[in-house]
Amino acid sequence: MPLSVVSICQISLPIAPQVHGRFDTNKPMSRWRQRCSVTRCCYNRRAEERARAGKNYYELLGVSVDSNAQEIKEAYRKLQKKYHPDIVGQKGHEHTLLLNEAYKVLMRDDLRRDYDASVGHQRVRYETNYSGLSYSSWKGPLRPHALFVDENACIGCRECTHHASNTFEMDEALGCARVKVQYGDDDQNIEVSVDSCPVNCIHWVDREELAVLEFLIQPQPKEGYGVFGGGWERPANVFMAANSLSKQLKQQAGTPRNARATVDEETPAQAEARANASMKIKMERISRLWNWVNEILG
Amino acid sequence: MAEPEYTVASDSETTGEEKSSSAFPEIAIGIDIGTSQCSVAVWNGSQVELLKNTRNQKVMRSYVTFKDDAPSGGVSNQHTHELEMLSGASIFNMKRLIGRVDTDPVVHASKSLPFLVQTLDIGVRPFIAALVNNVWRSTTPEEVLAIFLVELRAMAEIALKRPIRNVVLTIPVSFSRFQVTRIERACAMAGLHVLRLMPEPTAVALLYAQQQQQTIHENMGSGCEKIALIFNMGAGYSDVAVSATAGGVSQIKALAGSAIGGEDMLQNMMRHLLPDSEIIFSNHGINEIKSMGLLRVATQDAIHRLSFETSVQIDVDLGNGSKICKVVNQEEFQEVNREVFEKCESLIIQCLRDAKIEPDDVTDIIAVGGCSFIPKIKNLIMTICKRQELYKGINPMEAAVCGAALEGAVASGINDPFGSLDLLTIQVTPLAIGIQADGNNFVPIIPRNTTMPARKELAFTTVHDNQTEALIVVYEGEGKKVDENHLLGYFKLVGIPPAPKGVPDINVCMDIDASDVLRVLAGVVVPGSQQAAIPVMEVRMPTIDDGHGWCAEALHRTFGSKLNLVTVQKKI
Repeated sequence: MPLSVVSICQISLPIAPQVHGRFDTNKPMSRWRQRCSVTRCCYNRRAEERARAGKNYYELLGVSVDSNAQEIKEAYRKLQKKYHPDIVGQKGHEHTLLLNEAYKVLMRDDLRRDYDASVGHQRVRYETNYSGLSYSSWKGPLRPHALFVDENACIGCRECTHHASNTFEMDEALGCARVKVQYGDDDQNIEVSVDSCPVNCIHWVDREELAVLEFLIQPQPKEGYGVFGGGWERPANVFMAANSLSKQLKQQAGTPRNARATVDEETPAQAEARANASMKIKMERISRLWNWVNEILG
Repeated sequence: MAEPEYTVASDSETTGEEKSSSAFPEIAIGIDIGTSQCSVAVWNGSQVELLKNTRNQKVMRSYVTFKDDAPSGGVSNQHTHELEMLSGASIFNMKRLIGRVDTDPVVHASKSLPFLVQTLDIGVRPFIAALVNNVWRSTTPEEVLAIFLVELRAMAEIALKRPIRNVVLTIPVSFSRFQVTRIERACAMAGLHVLRLMPEPTAVALLYAQQQQQTIHENMGSGCEKIALIFNMGAGYSDVAVSATAGGVSQIKALAGSAIGGEDMLQNMMRHLLPDSEIIFSNHGINEIKSMGLLRVATQDAIHRLSFETSVQIDVDLGNGSKICKVVNQEEFQEVNREVFEKCESLIIQCLRDAKIEPDDVTDIIAVGGCSFIPKIKNLIMTICKRQELYKGINPMEAAVCGAALEGAVASGINDPFGSLDLLTIQVTPLAIGIQADGNNFVPIIPRNTTMPARKELAFTTVHDNQTEALIVVYEGEGKKVDENHLLGYFKLVGIPPAPKGVPDINVCMDIDASDVLRVLAGVVVPGSQQAAIPVMEVRMPTIDDGHGWCAEALHRTFGSKLNLVTVQKKI
């Protein structure tokens, strides 16, 4: 079969650099890191190779960095229809492999977070519901206390990333520091970096509080009302906000499901009142728009 | 160099281009060979059409009858009565026997069939023979399947008036790669080239994707994602798939399958009606075969009627003085086959869990195959998915073959001006593939339900100081230990530079392309050097041919743990 002979050549070629590339890194790492290392060491290799491997997963799928699962899924399927070997034959094999890898990573929340961290950009989270997972990872065993940067106070001086580069990282988009790995450096370096902060924005917090704090410190999209509002916000005092959120979470966990359902339910009268009110607001908005159009025209 | 065009373009291709694209002669046909029934379909330019045989049948029984002269199959031949098929001269259920060794419980269950199935229980292929003029004439499942495929091919060639070469075949999810090679060999014997082998429920998923695409075109609605649960149960196998469908792309989320089917129910019922039937029939005398046939026909008929009636009367004279007169009701039938139904349930639940889909998120439930008519099967699917009804737009007996024909058209590169072929199936691997490492453990490299095409690699290292050779033994399956899985092949990696144990870096990479060809690559590097120490080995699997039941044992006996590997622990 001539077809299979061709494909063997195609396959064995790109594999060889991957096998080589892996050995540059003596530490065994997880898969996406391997790929990154491959990408880096391939830079002085063939130009075509670089063009293929140099693209990050977002560029590969043609989606924005903050796209949600639905958008990624649609983009993936659209590209699959273009490149899948069923459609273009054996030459689509390599590209489809990359697409599959990119899709798998971006569709799984934990893998995507790792990937985002590895390529050095911060994804702004659209999903506003609290997942219970903290942003930073832990090196070594869990300890009762954890580091947390109050990004509201941070002035982006880079002192902490300078002293403990394995623990802190800079979010270039937001211009402030953040904890990447808890206890990523030895205790002395961490001590120095905490002390070196000119605005004292690095805090020691309880481990249980960490996830809530890290969730709240990420900017959330603000609901817009016409020209007002919109943009991004985060609580001014993150510690106060964390207190109230964890209280809420505790309450939710404490109340059984059906009890909450009864709270959510409203009487027919309430429903009617609410419907009326929202109708009124809508009408008002339309009439305002109408007046404005009239003013412009007339 | 002067005139390469003349030699490159074949005659058929040029005539194809002159005509419209729909008459392009190389459209692959879809074949669904079921354990008991089979059918052929093709994309005729505007839709899928099922081909008919000379007796105007679209769905034919799969069996081959051996006679003095040439054997004849269920496509051309027609028995006047079902009993003739059970006279011992016909081989059927070959799909349950193909590629299995004689220690397999499915082979043992086939011993109560009218033809001869002998086992030695040592891990070789079973002895299969048909009774011709009081002589047991031996054959193999591959041969029987090939004879049958030749008939199907002849039928399709007559119907389409062109030679047929490329086919898309549907296979059960639980088929091992070794069984797949047996199917491919049977096709090669019949002069057919397998373009694609697709698991049966994924063919159904493709048909569903096309139907959804068309309804969207008609309603101009939005192409939102639909989740379908597909349950396919025929005579020999049951399969489950969960697929997400949007815009003509059917993305398989998970697959699950098992070798249980209508045949098991039939045998359970036969045992229920005549408790010592297996002992009576085990010596395969002429009279026993006859009474076995009678019992089989009566039981089969009763199971069919139980799909519509609550209780049926069974009256059969077995000829050897024993008569069976019994009334069987639904509850009795369900109780006798409780294990079969429980297995079906667990398959569906496992598939949903693997796909990470809640039963509430399923848009449509599609039940296909002969056993989908059984009320209990319908009920259990609806109970798991908390639904009141099943998807109705699909013919349960023709769904798989229609999907295969669609895939045949898509993979042959046919375009449809109306967009009916704007389709794609994104398949997943039904079974994990890995190698033996860490002693007797199976270490998966490509896990189950990985999107295809797939490529994964894993690092291993040596277990002994100065170990210069390593044995890479490739298995497929879900068991934690290697001996629970199917052996696919093995090769020896030689010339590893001598080093303390745990130092050489042995990288094993597996690559599956869209046509499901598996390649295993292995390379060695000693840390510090940039080059691979020895040339990378590339092996196309499966490499083993026969007797794979005892092959692994022989390897273990000869080499022990001398050439073992261990996985490299990942540090976080």
